[in-house]
Amino acid sequence: MGAPSLAGLGVAIYVWMKKIHMYAGLLSFMAFVVWGVTGIQAVFLPAPGEWQPPPVSGHKEFPFAGGGSLDDKELAKAVFHAAALTMAGGYYDVHRDEAGNLAFLVYSANGQRELTYLEKERRVRVVFRDSGLGDFLSSMHAGHSRRGARDRSSRLWGYYNEFSTWAFLFMAISGIYLWVATRPGMIWALILSGVAIAVTALLWVATR
Amino acid sequence: MFRLMRNVHLILGLLFCSYAMLFAASSLIIIYRPWLKPTHSEHEQTLRVAAGRAQAPRDVAFELIQNHGLQGDLRDIKQDGDAMRFVIARPGMRSEVRYSAATGEAKIRTRREGFLETLVQLHTNHGFWHEFMPANAWSLLSLLGSVGLLLLGATGIYL
Repeated sequence: MGAPSLAGLGVAIYVWMKKIHMYAGLLSFMAFVVWGVTGIQAVFLPAPGEWQPPPVSGHKEFPFAGGGSLDDKELAKAVFHAAALTMAGGYYDVHRDEAGNLAFLVYSANGQRELTYLEKERRVRVVFRDSGLGDFLSSMHAGHSRRGARDRSSRLWGYYNEFSTWAFLFMAISGIYLWVATRPGMIWALILSGVAIAVTALLWVATR
Repeated sequence: MFRLMRNVHLILGLLFCSYAMLFAASSLIIIYRPWLKPTHSEHEQTLRVAAGRAQAPRDVAFELIQNHGLQGDLRDIKQDGDAMRFVIARPGMRSEVRYSAATGEAKIRTRREGFLETLVQLHTNHGFWHEFMPANAWSLLSLLGSVGLLLLGATGIYL
């Protein structure tokens, strides 16, 4: 069997590149939808300082016998784990409220949760502020292999996001290759490409 | 129809390719930030702003933007007597200003992010409420890019 010709090698690279481009797109399609929707929604988010939490959507209480020798930070951690909130990323703003109870915030993909440990009653109160679909998608779009809630669904989505990010980069590069390999003489495409790069570069310079 | 969709896919891809790469790169920087260790530089300067032009924080900020080269959105305004504090920020740059009407001095600490972190801040830049116009332009590009991404996906599925 002889060595493959240069033209044959070029065709083989093109065929494989097209296949990988297509399968990368199909595999990461759902992530693109989430990113696209999030990107559209982000444009209409309020300016810093104008954000308001969603209204209270529900309450829950459960018994909890904690405290003892724990300091507030450790107690908050124990309450956080006992609450076992779905898709919760972490707890913040640990403080004592006006009644002297330990209170803190938990952010989850489903919205903000306000936890208060009622020490005298030995109960934990959870106030739910469920966010809408847009905020949920926005939270999900930000997850990756090392960021996001600890539960399995969030972890899996994080890995999917990360895979899709690499796929996105690959498709941008392979897309240019597929264009140049098949239709390099398209003047309008060349002009369009040049204008897009020039606009991005101009904006970069204006911003820096 | 196939030819049309193929051309639409190509047009969208070319229009948003540089922006798509910016978003993909900034996403990867966010993910691998601990390994990449983005850099930044800081410097401080003191400027004089005449008390007559500094009735309110916005006046001081306007003076600094108009005549001293600071650019960005005015944020985090705090005023305590004749002492004012505020931030002038844009993607990749943040200047914290402390102004004393008594001395007429504005002490400015500026943090300039390196290339990597600036990409990240462009990624998270949003909204059309910016006083700094390029930030609004990035938001518009982001909106168009997001719509383009959805259309790229849809035309890709067709193809």
